[in-house]
Amino acid sequence: MITFEHVTFFYPDRPLPALRDISLQITAGEFVLLVGASGAGKSTLLRLINGLAPHFTGGQLRGRLSVHGLDPVLATPQIMSRHVGFVFQDSEAQFVTDRVEDELAFALEHAALPAPAMRLRVEETLDLLDLARLRNRSLDTLSGGERQRVAIAAALALHPSILVLDEPTSQLDPQSAEDVLTALVRLNSDLGLTIVLAEHRLERVLPFVERLIYLAADGNSMVSGDARSVLHQIDLVPPLVQVGKALGWEPLPLTIKAGLRFSQMMVNVPAPSSSPPPQPIQPSPTVLQVKGLTVQIDTCTVLHAVDLTMRAGEIVVIMGRNGAGKTTLLRSLVGLVRPQRGDVQIQGRSIAGRTVAEICRQVAYLPQDPNTLLFADSVRDELWITLRNHGLETKPNAGQVIDNLLATLRIAALAEHYPRDLSVGERQRTALAAILVTQPQLILLDEPTRGLDYAAKDQLAGLLKGFARAGKAVILVTHDVEFANGLADRVVLMSQGEVIATGSPAEVLSPSPFFAAQVARLFPGTTWRTVEDVLVGVCTSGQATNCGG
Amino acid sequence: MGIKEVGLIERALSLLIYGLTSLIGVVAFLYPFWLPSLPAAMLIDRAHANDATLLLTVLVFLCFAVLLLEVQSQAINTKTVALLGVLVAINATLRYIDNVLPIPGGFSPIFMLIVLTGYVYGGRFGFLVGALTLLVSALITGGVGSWLPYQMFTAGWVGMTAPLCRWLVSGHGPIVSRREVIVLASFAGGWGLLYGAIMNLWFWPFATGDLTQYWQPGTTPLDTLHRYALFYLATSLAWDAICMLGNILLILTLGAPILRGLRRFHTRFEFQYQPLSAEQVAGQQATP
Amino acid sequence: MKNPLHPLTWALWLLADLVILSMTRNPIYLGLTLCWIAVISVAIHWAGIAVNPQRLLAPFHFGLVVVPLAALINALNVHIGVTVLFVLPRALPLIGGPITLEALVYGLLNGLILTCIYTAFALVNQVLSVRAMVGLIPRAYYPLAIVVTIALTFAPLTLRQLQAIREAQAIRGHRMQGIRDWLPLFLPLLLSGLERSLQLAEAMTARGFASTQAQSQHRVARLGLVLGLASIVAGLWLHLVGPSASAGSLLTFSGIASVVGGLWWIGRGQARTVYRPTPFQRQDWLVATAALCPVLLFLLPLFDRTSLFYYPYPTLSLPEFNLIYGMATWGLLGPAFLPLRRSIA
Repeated sequence: MITFEHVTFFYPDRPLPALRDISLQITAGEFVLLVGASGAGKSTLLRLINGLAPHFTGGQLRGRLSVHGLDPVLATPQIMSRHVGFVFQDSEAQFVTDRVEDELAFALEHAALPAPAMRLRVEETLDLLDLARLRNRSLDTLSGGERQRVAIAAALALHPSILVLDEPTSQLDPQSAEDVLTALVRLNSDLGLTIVLAEHRLERVLPFVERLIYLAADGNSMVSGDARSVLHQIDLVPPLVQVGKALGWEPLPLTIKAGLRFSQMMVNVPAPSSSPPPQPIQPSPTVLQVKGLTVQIDTCTVLHAVDLTMRAGEIVVIMGRNGAGKTTLLRSLVGLVRPQRGDVQIQGRSIAGRTVAEICRQVAYLPQDPNTLLFADSVRDELWITLRNHGLETKPNAGQVIDNLLATLRIAALAEHYPRDLSVGERQRTALAAILVTQPQLILLDEPTRGLDYAAKDQLAGLLKGFARAGKAVILVTHDVEFANGLADRVVLMSQGEVIATGSPAEVLSPSPFFAAQVARLFPGTTWRTVEDVLVGVCTSGQATNCGG
Repeated sequence: MGIKEVGLIERALSLLIYGLTSLIGVVAFLYPFWLPSLPAAMLIDRAHANDATLLLTVLVFLCFAVLLLEVQSQAINTKTVALLGVLVAINATLRYIDNVLPIPGGFSPIFMLIVLTGYVYGGRFGFLVGALTLLVSALITGGVGSWLPYQMFTAGWVGMTAPLCRWLVSGHGPIVSRREVIVLASFAGGWGLLYGAIMNLWFWPFATGDLTQYWQPGTTPLDTLHRYALFYLATSLAWDAICMLGNILLILTLGAPILRGLRRFHTRFEFQYQPLSAEQVAGQQATP
Repeated sequence: MKNPLHPLTWALWLLADLVILSMTRNPIYLGLTLCWIAVISVAIHWAGIAVNPQRLLAPFHFGLVVVPLAALINALNVHIGVTVLFVLPRALPLIGGPITLEALVYGLLNGLILTCIYTAFALVNQVLSVRAMVGLIPRAYYPLAIVVTIALTFAPLTLRQLQAIREAQAIRGHRMQGIRDWLPLFLPLLLSGLERSLQLAEAMTARGFASTQAQSQHRVARLGLVLGLASIVAGLWLHLVGPSASAGSLLTFSGIASVVGGLWWIGRGQARTVYRPTPFQRQDWLVATAALCPVLLFLLPLFDRTSLFYYPYPTLSLPEFNLIYGMATWGLLGPAFLPLRRSIA
C-alpha cells in the first residue's frame, strides 16, 4: 500500500536532508507507530505520504514513493486526499467552520458530491467516531479529545483507506488522549483502516501496534519491525518497557497486565526502603501561604476554602481533572483573579491590593501557551523587555543576570535567534527565561509538558530540580503522571475547586488507580515510582545481574 | 497557442477589467460634480434625473462586483485563503474592540493592518483585507446596513493603493527604516481623511437631498465641489481628522515591529511548488 | 421554527424595499412603507421568528433622531423655496440665506427615507443568521465565502487569545500606559495568527482544497465582462453627452446584462454543492412574487408616475396619491403573514 524506496528529502535552502535513504513498506490494514526524537523527520515522512511535502512545504525529493498505487508528488494533495486522511497536532487550527456537522461537510461540498450522498457520508462518519450527540455543537465548546475526533472524522469523510496522524494527542490531557487513541484502535480493527501514527506517548498504543518504525535523529537511519524487536533497540521507551529491558523480561511486556506477571514473580522485592526525601537541616522559609482561598466567577464557586503552604526548595505538583480549579488557583496566586474570601501571602506579604505587575516581581508564572509571551526579535531582547517592564534594566548587573540565566536554561547559543522560529522546547525555555529574569522566589508552571517529547521532559525536570535546589519554590500543574511522580516533593489533588488530598507522591499518587506511575503499578507495596528507583532497589537487593548500567 | 500568448491575453483581460471598472466606478461615483454641467434638457424631467442617479448607483455596485471577482481570481490560492481568513478575523476583532472602547471620533484601528498588509503582500491582497474586514465585522456585530457596500469598496481601495508607497520607499528583510514608517504613516493618515470624505460623498446626496434641488443649468463642477467642500468641513472634518491622527499615531508607534513580523512570514508563505516536468521526474527517480 | 423563509426571499424583499425607496419621495408612499415594515416587525416578534431579536422598537428610535436632524441639515443647506421662515445673515458660508419651509419638508422626506432603509435592514438582520447571510454570497465568490467563514470561525478564538495574551504580558510586568503598550498585546496575536493560518492552509490542502482555479475556463466569460463594461461606457457617453439617447440606453442596458450574465456564468463554473440546501418553498414564492409587484410597478412607466416624484419646491403643495401605487406597496407585506402560516401548520 505505501512504499518508500530510497527516499531522500531536502527542504528548500537546507544543505542537509531531512530524510536520507529511507525505504519501507506498509501493507494495507496495518497499524504503524512512528517514533523518534523531535526533529528526526517524523513529520516529514508523514507529509510525504499525502504529498504535502513537497507540494505545500517545498523541497526536493529523490527516490520513489508509491501510495495506494499513486505517486504523491505527481498526483497533488488534492487527489491524494481521497486516499489519505491527515490529522494534525493543533486541534484549533485545523477547522474552517465552527460547527461539527458543517466541518464534516466542508470537504464533501468542495468535492461537489451530490447532496444525498453527502448526507449519508456525514451520518456514517458521525457514527464511526461516536460524534452523533455532538453534531450541532459549536467546535469551541468541545474538549480537546472531542475536537481531535472531529478532525479525524473530517479527514475520513472522503473515505480514504489510509489515515495519517501527526502527534494528535500531544496537546491533550490523558483522558482525551485515551478517547482519541481508542477511536483509532477501533477504526483499525473494525474497518481495516491503515493507520500511520506519530506519537510520543507510546503507553496506550503499544499493545495494538503491529509495526513500530523508529527514526534516528536527522532522519539518517531507520529501524522498522514489530513492536517488541524495535523496542529492544531504541531508548525512547515508556518506563514499563525500560524496566522490562533492564530486568531482562522476555517477551517484553507492553501492558501493565503483562508486566505484573513478571514483577509478581520477583522474590525478595524489598519492603518500602527507598531513601526517604532528605530532611532539611533547618526548616526552609515559607514562601507561599494560602488560607481559605475562595474564588467565585459569575456566581459559580471555582475555588472553595483552599489552603496551601510552601517552603523554599519544594516542588509541589497540583493534579486533578479538567475544570477542577487548578489553573484558577495558579491565576489567583499572581493576582489575575481576585478572591472573594481568603488570603494569599508571598514571602510574608499579602498580595491583596497589589497589581499583577508588582506581584510578578516575586512570582514567575509560565502560562500554558508560551507563544502568548514571545514577540521580540531575539531571545535576549525578550529578557530585556521583561526587565524594562519592571524598571530594572538600569541595574548594573542586568546584563550579567541575563547571561547567567541564558546559560542555566541552555539557550545561550540561541540568544540572537528569533524566538518564534525555535522548537517547542526551546521556546518554552525562552519564555521561562523571560519570566525568571526578575529572579523570583516562587515559580508557577501551568501544564509545561504539553507537546514535549521524553528528552525535553527530562531536561525540564532537571531544570526544575535545579531551581528547587537553588532555594526556589516550584508549583506545577500537570496531567502527566510520570512527570509528576518523578519530580514532586508533594502532591495536591483537586476536584471541584477543593483540595481533596495532599501529601507525598507515595502517599497520594501510588495508591491511586488513576494517578499511579507505571512503575508503582508494577510494584505495588513499594515506594518505587521511577525506573531509577527500580534499578537501585533491585541492585541493592541483588536481584539482577546487570547492575551498574 | 503557446503559454506566452495565453499569458498575454490573461494580462490584457485583467488590465482591461481593472481599467474599465475604475473608469466607470470613478465617473459614476463623482456624478454630483459632473451631472449638473450637462445640457439642461436632461435635467428638466425629474423622473429622468432620478433614474440617472439610480442607474449610476447600480453601476458602481456592478463595478465593485466585477473588480472583486477579478481580484479574487488572481489572488486566491489555499494559503491566501487561510491567511486572509485569519487576518480578517484579527482586524474585525480590532474593530469590534474599538467599538467597545470609548475613543472619540472616527478613530478606527483597522486601517493600520489594511495598509501594512497591502504594502507587504500586494495590492490585491490589501483590497481583499480591506473589503472583507468591513464585511466580517458587520456580520459579527449584526449590523449589515445599506452603507456596507460603500465601506467595503472604499476600504478595499485603501488596501489596493498601499503598494504605491513602494514608489517612495522600499524595504526587504527584517530591517525597517524610519523612512518607511513615516511614508506609511502619512499614507494611512491621508487615507484617514480621504476615507471619510468618500464615505461622506456617498452619504451627501442622502443628507442634503437630491442635488436637483439647487442645480441650475450650467452649474460647473467647481461650484458643486465648493458646496461639497463646505459641507464636508462643517460636518465631518473633525471626525475624520481624528481618524487621520489615529492612523498616523498607530503606524508610527506600532508599524515597524508589525512590518518585521509580516515580512518574516512572507518568506515562509510565498512558496509555490513548481511541478517538475516528466524528464526531471524521471531523472530524479533514477538517482539512487 | 425560526425563520421559515429562505434567505434569498428576504434579500429580494429588501431589494424591493430599496427600489421603492429610491424611486419616490412622496410622503404618503414612504409612510405606507414604514408602516408595513413596522407591521412586519410586530408580526415577527409576536411569532418569535427572529433569530437574533432586538427590542421591538429599537430600530425605529433611529427615525426619531434622523428625521428632525435631516430636516434641519437640509433647511440650513438649501435656500430655495417660497415660504420663508426666517433669514440667516448671508455672510455665513453655507448656511446663510433664507430658511424655507420647503427645504425643511424636503429634509423631513430625506429623514423618512433613511429611516425606512435603516429599519428594513435592521429587520433583515434580525431574521437572518450569520450563516444564512454568508450563504447568500453568490457562487462566483465561493473562495471569498470560505474566507469569510474562516474569519467568522477565528474571530471568537482571536478574542480569547487576546485575553490570554493580556494576562501573559501582565505576568511579565506589562502595564497599559500608552499607545506603545499595545504592541505586546497585538504583536503576539498577529504572529500567532500568521502561524495558525499556515497550519490551517496545510489542513485545508490535506482535505482536498484546490490551490487555484483554472483560469482558462473563464476566459470567455471574462471577455464578456470586458465587452459589457466597454459597452456601458460607450452607452453612458452616448446617452449623456452624445447624439443618440436611446442608442446609449440600449448599449448601457445590454452592457449591464452582459456583465451580470458573465458573473452568473463564472458562478456556475464553481463546482461545489451545498450540504443542507434550504428549500425554496411555497411561502417563498408567494412573498417573492408579492414583493416583485411594487418593483415592477415603480420601475416601469406603466401608469402615471407623477405622484411618485413629489417635489416640494418652489411652493409647498399637498402630495398626490395614486391608489395603484399605494396598493402596490402592500406587496411588501408578505412576510407579515408568516405567523399565520405557523399557526395553521
